[in-house]
Amino acid sequence: MIDEQIQRQFQEIGRDLYLADLVSSHGGNLSVRLGDRVVIKRRGAMLGRLKEGDLIETGLEKPDSGVVLASTELVVHRAIYLATPALAVVHAHPRTAIALSLSREEIVPIDNEGSYLLHKVPVVAAEFASGSAEMVERLPAALREYKIVMLRGHGCFSTGQTLEEAFQWVSCLEESCQIILAAKGINEPFIEYRKMSEEYKQW
Amino acid sequence: MQGWMGRAVEVDLTSGKSRSFALDPEMLRLFVGGRGLGARLLWDLVGPDVDPLSPENVLIFCTGPLTATAFQTSSRFSVSCKSPLTGTILDANSGGFWGMRLKRAGIDALIIRGRAVTPSCVEIGPGGVAVSNASHLWGMTVPETTQALDAKGRSVLCIGPAGEKLSRIAAIMNDGQRALGRGGPGAVMGSKNLKAITVEGDAKVEIADRERLRFVRYEASKQLTANPFTSQALPQFGTAAIINIVNVVGALPTRNFQESRFEQAEEISGESITDRFLVKKSACWSCPIACTRVTRTKTREGEGPEYETVWAFGADCGIADLEAITEANYLCNDLGLDAISTGATIACAMELAERGIIDSDLRFGRADLLLDAVRDIGYRRGIGDELAEGSLRFARRHDAAEYSMTVKGLEMPAYDPRGMQGQGLLYATSNRGACHTRGNMLGPEIVGLPKLVPRLQVQGKAGIVALHQNAAAAIDSLVVCKFVNMAVADEFLARALTAVTGVTYSTAELLRAGERIWNLERLYNLREGFSRIDDTLPRRLLEEPVTDGPNKGWVSHLPEMLDEYYRWRAWDDDGVPPAGKLAELGLQEMETPPGRIAEKARR
Repeated sequence: MIDEQIQRQFQEIGRDLYLADLVSSHGGNLSVRLGDRVVIKRRGAMLGRLKEGDLIETGLEKPDSGVVLASTELVVHRAIYLATPALAVVHAHPRTAIALSLSREEIVPIDNEGSYLLHKVPVVAAEFASGSAEMVERLPAALREYKIVMLRGHGCFSTGQTLEEAFQWVSCLEESCQIILAAKGINEPFIEYRKMSEEYKQW
Repeated sequence: MQGWMGRAVEVDLTSGKSRSFALDPEMLRLFVGGRGLGARLLWDLVGPDVDPLSPENVLIFCTGPLTATAFQTSSRFSVSCKSPLTGTILDANSGGFWGMRLKRAGIDALIIRGRAVTPSCVEIGPGGVAVSNASHLWGMTVPETTQALDAKGRSVLCIGPAGEKLSRIAAIMNDGQRALGRGGPGAVMGSKNLKAITVEGDAKVEIADRERLRFVRYEASKQLTANPFTSQALPQFGTAAIINIVNVVGALPTRNFQESRFEQAEEISGESITDRFLVKKSACWSCPIACTRVTRTKTREGEGPEYETVWAFGADCGIADLEAITEANYLCNDLGLDAISTGATIACAMELAERGIIDSDLRFGRADLLLDAVRDIGYRRGIGDELAEGSLRFARRHDAAEYSMTVKGLEMPAYDPRGMQGQGLLYATSNRGACHTRGNMLGPEIVGLPKLVPRLQVQGKAGIVALHQNAAAAIDSLVVCKFVNMAVADEFLARALTAVTGVTYSTAELLRAGERIWNLERLYNLREGFSRIDDTLPRRLLEEPVTDGPNKGWVSHLPEMLDEYYRWRAWDDDGVPPAGKLAELGLQEMETPPGRIAEKARR
């Protein structure tokens, strides 16, 4: 039985992700870890309109019939929980971040908040970029060191103690990417305002 | 080595001899330092048959890889031993200057064994380690001892009369007024006839990547500055800044946890301390926060009181006389007593007196008797002789154990588990007994750091508690102050550790080290005969609902949380880590014989 407060957290964060254009109608997914169980969005459910029955509970390591209904990315979420201290995972499709991931190995924010909160977001690549073994191998490894990681051309996986925290990193990343894009559009010399700014690339 | 000094010193007080030896780099990598290194060494040195107050118990003072590196709050060090109060594994840590100097004396771990024939002092200096006669210091208070041994460039760690008289709630004090407080390490030091340890040292700690450390430190300083808890509340009001906040949400235990809100909280708040008694703020070495209060009452000047002390002598005893509370705090520092256990044990006595179980004038609100009660505990006079044993032994003696607000024999700190469900689980599962510093539930449940989680939510709390426990074990092993972590996330600490040691720790690896340490402590307690039945709370908190305020009708939902907690930790239903889990953590050699576990369960 999933607690009412946890259901509400899924609904609120799901709605916010959709309204902030961070996912399409049926894109993205959310999960939390409860003991040795995972609660994850149902496959095909709309993040912006999560209803009763749209949350699926299944084992963290031990599979059960819950996998029939769970999100396609369940295998990745499970692998993240097993490899990292995450208690919540948000997977979203932030558009500007995806665009930048197509030409970069890492995204290094240039704005104040992005620098302060994220420092650097690595980009990893997988030939099959949905629920694949490559993703299971590469994403958790990167998330051991970084709280949010981009999967090239697909989207981000973000971790936190709560869905709200993981959502914050997604929201912050997309804002930073929009600023990078806007600054490129202005195309004027960048005036560095941060001390030791070269170090961000080494984070 | 980089970060670590790579060296331990062992002093045998029985023979008066000392030796130095190299520490295994792999052990340092796995257990980091501080609390973790202490636990690992204690596992080998002190088994289940050792009485905590016998010469066979040891005191292990450990610094960590970040100690003395100038990373924020890197003054800290820890002491590990078997607790004479709880019988569990114990570590306590402290700030000030002593730990920084121990590290600069080239020592990661100082192991004290045996018992001296006469009161003694261990002196660590440029010439090496010496054991000297301290008979002239025996009987002195902490300030008197510190003053007698004080010298430029030297730090003093000592016990007061409470430790000499083997009070099970005695602290070890360093640099005058800082305490290794909980679980009675002062009694272990007293049992060894060891009055003090002085240390001088000026060796530099080798840093693997100074530039990287400088950047991590710079980024951490931004976080500390931007966070109002660390940049405003703590410096302005000290830790007692949260008295009003905790009271408003109905989680300030009052009159020995009979109530959850104190009607006179404002009078004992951090704001009141600042208005009435604050002389100046002060800080440990390398700390930009400066939460220490230097205060002056009508009669004298001293340090404190902190939040927990204000609560213990205040709300928990039904006392709103801030002057009496502040002076009770000074007395604890003078006599070398743990202020939380001292206040909570007096509160227990007050309830027993009000219920007619003991014949005493101690009653809730009797501020006029507070200072004498503390003195009597420190010197073991009158009823103080019984109270010096801690509240559980005291209450048991009067056949009233249910009024001892303890877990595993350690007095609970200043948060009511009925109004903070996660805090209750934290207390119940804490390896050294009820403790608020074994994990930080104040952050998520009240202050919103990193994010606010509903206080009364039950499902999902186990993971948050376990994660914070692992983080706390790691932080206590680095060793830095928990307040840094209110603003500076674990990822900064992992990067600082990497920069200092040259050993790559991801955030996950740092927390995995914390998990390893937590499991090792659990194994230690299982070996001592503790089991699932000890992971509990006093009956009052499980059965007596809160009578008013925002948590009206609530009790602790510990049983549901405990099941989820064991599953999160991948332990079995009895709370025992299985072989697979131990192998995953590199603890496969430390499997606990099941017979020991069953023994306590049967009892």
